[in-house]
Amino acid sequence: MAEAATDLRPAPESAPPSADPAASTPPPPTPETVVVPSSPSGTYIMVRDRFTIFCDRPLPSLDMPNALAYEVADRKQEGRPLYALVCRPDMPARISVMRVLKGLEIPAVLHMVDWGVAEWPLLERKCVIVIYHRPLGGKVMDSHYGGAKRIADHVFARTVVKPIAEGLIEMGLKGITHRAIRPDNLYYIDEQKTKIVLGDCVTSVPAHDQPVLLEPIESGMAQPSGRGGGNYADDMYAFGASVLMIALGRNPLAGMADAEIIRRKIQIGSYAALVGDERVPMALIECLRGMLTDDVEQRWQPTNIDLWLNGKRLTPIQAKSEPQSQRPLRFADMEFHSIRPLSYAMYQNWDKALSIINDGSLEVWIRRGLELNDLADAIASAIKGTGAALGKADADDIIIARVLMLLDPKAPIRHRDFRLFTEGFGSSLSTAMLRKQKLQPYTDFITRELWRYWIVAQVKYNVDNQQYEGVFRELKNYLKDQNSGAGIERCVYELNEWQPCMSPLIADQYVMEVKGVLPALDAVAKTANTKVWPVDRHIGAFLRARYAKGTGSQIDAMNDQRPDRATIGMLSVLAIVQWRLGPEALYGLAQWIGGLMGPVVNSYQNRTKRKEIEKELPKLIRKGNLAEIFNYLDNPQERQMDAEGFTWAKAEYAAAEKLVYDLEHGQVDRQESAMLTGRQAGAAGAGFIMFLTYLIILLGKVF
Amino acid sequence: MQKRSNFLLYAFIAVPIGLMIVPTMVVLAVALVPTGVAFLLERKKGFYGGLTVGAMNLAGAAPFLADLWFDGHTIQAALDIITNVFAWMAFYGAAMFGWAIYSTTPGVIGTFMAMTAGRRIAAMRDQQKDLVQKWGPDVESVYEPERKAGEVDTGPPDSLTGGMARAM
Repeated sequence: MAEAATDLRPAPESAPPSADPAASTPPPPTPETVVVPSSPSGTYIMVRDRFTIFCDRPLPSLDMPNALAYEVADRKQEGRPLYALVCRPDMPARISVMRVLKGLEIPAVLHMVDWGVAEWPLLERKCVIVIYHRPLGGKVMDSHYGGAKRIADHVFARTVVKPIAEGLIEMGLKGITHRAIRPDNLYYIDEQKTKIVLGDCVTSVPAHDQPVLLEPIESGMAQPSGRGGGNYADDMYAFGASVLMIALGRNPLAGMADAEIIRRKIQIGSYAALVGDERVPMALIECLRGMLTDDVEQRWQPTNIDLWLNGKRLTPIQAKSEPQSQRPLRFADMEFHSIRPLSYAMYQNWDKALSIINDGSLEVWIRRGLELNDLADAIASAIKGTGAALGKADADDIIIARVLMLLDPKAPIRHRDFRLFTEGFGSSLSTAMLRKQKLQPYTDFITRELWRYWIVAQVKYNVDNQQYEGVFRELKNYLKDQNSGAGIERCVYELNEWQPCMSPLIADQYVMEVKGVLPALDAVAKTANTKVWPVDRHIGAFLRARYAKGTGSQIDAMNDQRPDRATIGMLSVLAIVQWRLGPEALYGLAQWIGGLMGPVVNSYQNRTKRKEIEKELPKLIRKGNLAEIFNYLDNPQERQMDAEGFTWAKAEYAAAEKLVYDLEHGQVDRQESAMLTGRQAGAAGAGFIMFLTYLIILLGKVF
Repeated sequence: MQKRSNFLLYAFIAVPIGLMIVPTMVVLAVALVPTGVAFLLERKKGFYGGLTVGAMNLAGAAPFLADLWFDGHTIQAALDIITNVFAWMAFYGAAMFGWAIYSTTPGVIGTFMAMTAGRRIAAMRDQQKDLVQKWGPDVESVYEPERKAGEVDTGPPDSLTGGMARAM
């Protein structure tokens, strides 16, 4: 439904008759932070001439952290319970997952009926809208803090565990991770509250809205936007934690800070940390232990759940305990006997961490206390290598980050407040850009090669890491290039396949495909500042990332230092996109472009030609065809004629100048010449007179 | 030796002829005094002064020489001529006219040449104006001749250009 925007039509002034009498009551305030202007009562939008989304009928109970829910009516199937989630514009949606899930009826997963980009009147911009089948029984748990309906122990496994496990198996077959499994995102699809389904997973980046409690230790350490797509084991962990919360009817660690939750999970293991002293139904203990195992390889998969439900008892293998040191290492007023808790404490006390690195106590402790000589050597090498490569100020943070990577390779890359997995870098960068956050940590991550240190630190070989190495090398090259079509903007579009163009000019149009760029620019041409170029850094990077073969050389031309070549390059970028992808006429954009062609017109030396262009250009602008404008302005024959004519004119001017110089500076010679010539002429004249005199006199005497 | 033998050859030819045309020589000896003077005065500037004065001097003597040659080529006739005041006026008047020609012609020619150069400069400047109008100021260039060592450019005299260069 990416093309759904074209199916929209202006809303009529009055709303269609409402089937829901509750709609007439004012909607309760939404818990989200999306700035919604005062609701124009009675407005709705139509999608595909089928779905009516009522802007004035919000459904706060179905809101997602990054999307607001509204009522939907289906024209083809009257009474079909549907609702729409309107995504926040500052949160990248999982478009690639939407494309897979659309129309699929996966058991125990909320049915996504359709999705698309449409003009949303309340925000006066285009937004991603996802239409779901409406769960009639509401949420299983009002929030992840508590408020769940008690489910009897004897039906718990069949009501909650079984359907969700089946849903996850199906999603796994489609190659999708859910990454939003939490009690308040599980719904009763029926009014009788007998059937549970997994809720939406596409309105924010993977695992963004997951509380630390529900995420595995490593993922919980990462910042929400940088957790990455994860894997099925992450979903199983969230599923296990959610099952525990539903079984308990509340959050067992409510009120505990995220850092403390992670610390406890590291210290005593996730299962023990989450269950604590709570009473867990006996029947679920084995299942929960399996799903909450911290060792990813040992963690239960959905198929294990199936076996468990069928009565096969599976005892999870206990994860290998970490090496313990007899001699503790004292750091930040705490004593540590193993590496992982120390690593987390060092991250928590970043500024103090350098002291035990620099004084060698960490290395000595690892070498003597834990007898991990390879790790101690790697740390020593990292300290030495980083210190030699960077200056003192830069080196300290990098040294700490590298040491943390070596101490806990499974943890995300941590660099002060910046902590993410390589896999989650793209979505995190996208979120930061959309939210206009500082991008320095992201550029540092690439240019200081934190990604490479992390890949090197990984104990276990992962083929994906080799791929990331290549990707980040490319990103580093983009960052080095300051031209349009490169930079951090290029990075974000290269990393996020469905990232909409974030140019301030067309951000409101939510353009995800190249063919949408020109219509979007055309639409904003009337209101945009036409003194600025329509191809800014974002659009340049977007086109380069999405349509490099078609626009690469044109964008290079656009980066030319000469204003005329750069301007014609900019025109060529737009012209070739229009020529190849349409649309046929872009009147507004052509008008905009026409006003920027001054340098191109002035690049013709011949003033007569300039006047001719100025006369002809408005006619071409009225046609709205940028390719025609480009061909006219950059006609090779005309260019050659102009260049040749100019060369000839310069030569002629120079010749005239030389002649004038010669005439002006040749006076002395000329006076001498005039003297000589005058004397010669005088002598010749006198001689001629003499000849005539003698001739006449002699003839007179003879005749 | 070669010059001396040439001189003897010319003398061998000229003396008999001179003896044959003694009356003419007598008249010319008197008539061509201004010519001699002109040759002497202008010898460092070439012989154009002498040639001009001489030609006019001979032209002034032409009527009297014709009378001498056709009415009796005698010493007496020659003496009659050189004692005739009108003959002297004719000889010397013509010589003065020749001198006047010699003195004024360079000035006239110089003025003419200057006028021609001015017109050409104006034409060139007009042509340059047209080029600038059609192709813009980028077409302009300044001619810088290669200078020889020690050469100093004194610039064009305003009298010749009439300030045209500055006006451009």
